[in-house]
Amino acid sequence: MAAFDALLKPLTIKGLTLRNRVMSTSHAPSYGSDGKPKERYQLYHAEKAKGGIGLTMFGGSSSVAVDSPATPWNQISVADDSVIPYFKEFADRVHGYGGALMIQLTHMGRRTKWDLENWLPTVAPSPKREPAHKSVPKAMESEDFVRITKAFAAAARRCKAGGLDGFEVSCAHGHLIDQFWSPSVNERTDAYGGSLENRMRFGIEVFEAIRAEVGQDYVVGMRMSGDELLENGLTNEDCIAIAKAYSERGLIDFVNVIGGQARDHLAHAISLPNMAFPVAPFLHLASGIKREVGVPVFHAQRVTDIATAARAVEEGHTDMVAMTRAHIADPYLVSKLMEGRVDDIRQCVGAGYCIDRIYEGKDALCIQNAATGRESRMPHVHTPSPKKRKVVVVGGGPGGLEAARVAVERGHEVVLFEAKAQLGGQINVAAKAGWREAISGVARWLGQQVEKKGVDIRLNTKATAALIEAEMPEIVVIATGGLPNDGDFKGKDLVTTTWDILEGRVDPAETVLLFDRMGQHNGASTAEFLARRGAMVELATQDQMIGEDIGGTNRPVHLRELYKLGVMLTPNHDLVEVYPEGNKRIVVLRNDYTLEEEERVVDQIVVELGTLPVDQLYFDLKARSLNKGELDLDAFTEGRIQPKLPNGAGGFALFRIGDAVAGRNVHAAIYDAARLMKDI
Amino acid sequence: MLAGLAPLIVLACLLSGLVAAAWQTRRWLQGAPARVARLQGLIAMPGRYLVDVHQVVARRPRNARFHALAAGGLLASLALWCVLAVPPLRYRPLWGVLALVLALMLMGAISVWRRRQVDRPVELSGGGFDRLPLALLLYAGGFLVLALAELFTGPAATLFSSLGLIVGTFGLAGIISLAIGGPLKHAINGMLHLAFHPRPARFVGGKRDTGLVPLDLASARLGVERPVDFAWNRLLGFDACVQCGRCEQVCPAYAAEQPLNPKKFIQDLAMALAPGASDDAYAGHGHPGQALGSAHGGPGEPLIGAMISDATLWSCTTCRACVHECPMMIEHVDAMVDLRRFQTLELAALPGKAALVLEDLRLTDTLSGRGPGARLDWAVDLRIPLMREVMEAPVLLWLGEAAFDLRAQRTLRALVRLLRQAGVVFATLGPEELDCGDTARRLGDEATFQDLAGRNIATLSRYRFDRIVTADPHSLHVLKNEYPAFGGGYEVVHHTTFLAGLIERGVFGPLSPDGRKVTYHDPCYLGRYNGETAAPRALLDALGLERVEMERSGLRSQCCGGGGGATLTDIPGKRRIPDIRMAQATETGAAVIAVACPTCTVMLEGVTGKRPEVLDVAELLWQAVERGGIAAARSGMPA
Repeated sequence: MAAFDALLKPLTIKGLTLRNRVMSTSHAPSYGSDGKPKERYQLYHAEKAKGGIGLTMFGGSSSVAVDSPATPWNQISVADDSVIPYFKEFADRVHGYGGALMIQLTHMGRRTKWDLENWLPTVAPSPKREPAHKSVPKAMESEDFVRITKAFAAAARRCKAGGLDGFEVSCAHGHLIDQFWSPSVNERTDAYGGSLENRMRFGIEVFEAIRAEVGQDYVVGMRMSGDELLENGLTNEDCIAIAKAYSERGLIDFVNVIGGQARDHLAHAISLPNMAFPVAPFLHLASGIKREVGVPVFHAQRVTDIATAARAVEEGHTDMVAMTRAHIADPYLVSKLMEGRVDDIRQCVGAGYCIDRIYEGKDALCIQNAATGRESRMPHVHTPSPKKRKVVVVGGGPGGLEAARVAVERGHEVVLFEAKAQLGGQINVAAKAGWREAISGVARWLGQQVEKKGVDIRLNTKATAALIEAEMPEIVVIATGGLPNDGDFKGKDLVTTTWDILEGRVDPAETVLLFDRMGQHNGASTAEFLARRGAMVELATQDQMIGEDIGGTNRPVHLRELYKLGVMLTPNHDLVEVYPEGNKRIVVLRNDYTLEEEERVVDQIVVELGTLPVDQLYFDLKARSLNKGELDLDAFTEGRIQPKLPNGAGGFALFRIGDAVAGRNVHAAIYDAARLMKDI
Repeated sequence: MLAGLAPLIVLACLLSGLVAAAWQTRRWLQGAPARVARLQGLIAMPGRYLVDVHQVVARRPRNARFHALAAGGLLASLALWCVLAVPPLRYRPLWGVLALVLALMLMGAISVWRRRQVDRPVELSGGGFDRLPLALLLYAGGFLVLALAELFTGPAATLFSSLGLIVGTFGLAGIISLAIGGPLKHAINGMLHLAFHPRPARFVGGKRDTGLVPLDLASARLGVERPVDFAWNRLLGFDACVQCGRCEQVCPAYAAEQPLNPKKFIQDLAMALAPGASDDAYAGHGHPGQALGSAHGGPGEPLIGAMISDATLWSCTTCRACVHECPMMIEHVDAMVDLRRFQTLELAALPGKAALVLEDLRLTDTLSGRGPGARLDWAVDLRIPLMREVMEAPVLLWLGEAAFDLRAQRTLRALVRLLRQAGVVFATLGPEELDCGDTARRLGDEATFQDLAGRNIATLSRYRFDRIVTADPHSLHVLKNEYPAFGGGYEVVHHTTFLAGLIERGVFGPLSPDGRKVTYHDPCYLGRYNGETAAPRALLDALGLERVEMERSGLRSQCCGGGGGATLTDIPGKRRIPDIRMAQATETGAAVIAVACPTCTVMLEGVTGKRPEVLDVAELLWQAVERGGIAAARSGMPA
């Protein structure tokens, strides 16, 4: 355990002692309500405190002023005093578990929209269009400087009054203060533009106003980039100079360093590195700043495992290591470390499912942990069931594994049938595709847990009704997943599926047309897989763009790879028909808007049309089960035990979950499983 | 009729035996001076024999019986011979009494013979011991015939009487020869050792005297290098060893086949009392892995090296199982530590990681090298008050080295929450707490120990508290039993004792029963060193656990292998001591092995494979309190 000692060393900043070096940075899970952190938001962070985290920061981009609206991600508004009681309640909750709580304050400047609750124009140093939000800001006038500086100070006062342990001001990701810093945005010719000294002026005024308001003893930090990685942006040297200037003036008590910025899609994806990136890709930027400043340095960005986290602290690259997404996957990370249960930590795989959802206006959810963000209804730690039952789960994909895991944690006797030689289900297929390999971590953890907790795993065993009934189960969970949908177009016998390609049953041909009807990772990653093996690939879809349903931190990586490999991208086309011509295949595509048909001559047609349920076994058992296979949806959604369960007089209840019901995704299967079993 | 002759022959033999025995005293009198209350000791001796020795011997009733018959018969017969030697007192019925006594002794002698020749335990030594039954049988049988013949007259009686005298005298000669340097020397040395015992306090009213005696750091030679460096009464103790092998049977190092057999160790010390000594004549089990016949030494020669290997010295876990079993009241562990003191302080010859760890200890005042400033790193969120802030508190919580260990921190967390739950007002020294010095002292580094003890006592003297509570039996032992010699006198209570007291007062409210089967592993430093075996059991019983005992438990429990710095010296054996102990726990079918010492916890948790879960008694209690649902919100800290 000595290897992780560095992580468990307390850190004292001013009067605040953090119990260890592990933290979660401020982010925007979209759990806010009316601009306030209410119960859902609080429970989400309290769970991490319960799990031993040293510092949890909430409220990414919490607004201090009316022209920086909080609406976009259901975030927090600190622009008036009504938020203070919520802060108090929140702080009490987290302090109750021994954790520290901070918030991030910001004015987004031009990095937001004008057509939201207040319909105010965005502001910035100069009227330069922001690419991500496409807003053209107003150049700040003297009264704006006064107003916004005051707003920051007032928000700081609210944090202190609300009992928060401190806060940071976001000067990263292209918010107002770093818009001033960056020559790529600031083209002013007055005292706030030109030299770095002038460009730093506005931020210094803001921090001076904050200090005047909260005093020297209150912990105030700054989040900033260590290098904007942008032509005409802030260089590493600029960033070090800024960090030094602010810390040497006593304005800040910590500096929270990121790499890059977020003003376009790819930059945004790079600043929130997904599984395509190595771990801790920007640790060196934090390290470089730590060498130059006298205040503690915090750092987040794909630190997913505690070995890397411990190294980051032990080697002195950072003082606090942020494992933000790692805590979304497992809020009990630190307590598991302290309990010597490192192997039980559910490690973040970097799927980016959590963050991608919020850019679609949805709430943040973890691809593999169904309890995160649902703490009021879904337990992270399962308690023993009052009644021990025999449970048979059919299917070792994520849904079946989660059902078995929850069941065995609840104290049931569990048998798991898997037809294949390996657990994991469709995850094993997805993991074959290049940089998507890390998705296998989802199944690996589940498999390890069910094995460790004593589930009777029967691999290479295709379950039948007789085999299941021989187990005398009380609960049968059908999690048999799905198989590729073979389509409904003419000539469908002439095509192959993405599964055939990824699993190696069919070799890539020379010229390939991949038709994707799902807009998910499947099509894009298979196209990349084919192209990397030398195929000339055209990726066609009916959607308005390629990978339309892939989230904002993942799609740019797909597009980058597909463009690099020369894959031809053809949106807005439907597949009409396929027919043979000699050794070749002809694909007929139709433009959805002009309705004109085009033909392609290729060697191979690969389709991604989603899956259809594998449900024969379910229907074999349906009539014989006590509940006739019916899932009581009210009980299911309201968190109550299913009503028709056997009561010792024989018979079994039958449930179907995941893609065996209808093809969806990993989270859906896991949530189905956990939601069903947590009450049984 | 040989009525007049026989007693005279017997007394003549006896007298020659006593002269020889007196000559033998020079073996141990060559030891260093010792301050001994001789008269008091001699007066106390019979009591010590009848109470303390009997308590040990009676653990094996059969042995107690044959010993009472054989030894009692012999002594009684010798007394009768003295009476019979005086003609006016030579009443004929006395021969009948002698016959009765010798008949009883004969029964004892037959038992001795059966034990030595028929169903012989493996731990017994051979050599001279093999001749013992014959000598006893000849003495008792021969003189029994004589005594019976003396009750009659006539030629047949004379013939039997003569035969009896010849046989009996042979037997007596044998007994005397075995008493001089042979197995029966224990009779004389044993009695004298009881009288002049180096730890007379252990015989006083159930008290345990287990603290090490301070070493005068100004002495010319620190610790023991040669046999003559031991005080004479301690050499006497070694020379009293009867080679019964009870120590060998219970020694954890021996069981693990590390190169230590405590019986052989004591014999090594005893054999080395003669010039030109070798272990050729030793006829028992040796130190595992070491051939007999290779050891040689003498009273003035260094012990470690030629006579006793350093691996033997550093295998000892200081568990005191040998001491507890020894019917001769020999103090093996004191001898080990004295020898270690010389090796460590004079030669700096510590093996394994011991030297590095002691170096860390000297530099940082902590074994882990983290320094006392980090002692509360694990407890930031628990906000434990510091003594230097509050100046006084009813309870001073002594954290120990456990505060640096992730596993042990969980026990401490449970303990802190329990104390909070019970409303106990407590504080800790935190960064002012230095290592208690236990490991340094057991490894022979008396200088570091005394330095730490002095500074800890100085710190403790600044604050007011009623008692010290600790979850570490090693700290408990040192603070309670070894600091007084340096001016620190405290009431020190083990956490299991303290918690059992709280439970008795009902402060935890209803405890939710735990249906699991549990077995309790007694830490050596809590049980054998401090006599506490009841409180942890009472506590487990209060939790509603089904408690089963291992074959070795209580004061006769087996060590986990972690004491005496053994984890640092790390002398290899064929097995690991904790594996042996865990196998004993697994045999009980228990789901949980309850522990009460951070060292035991680490050692037992290091056992791989399927085994009971290792949980400290405090953790089990906290689980029950939590299940009981009365855990206050303020205790809701992470596990």
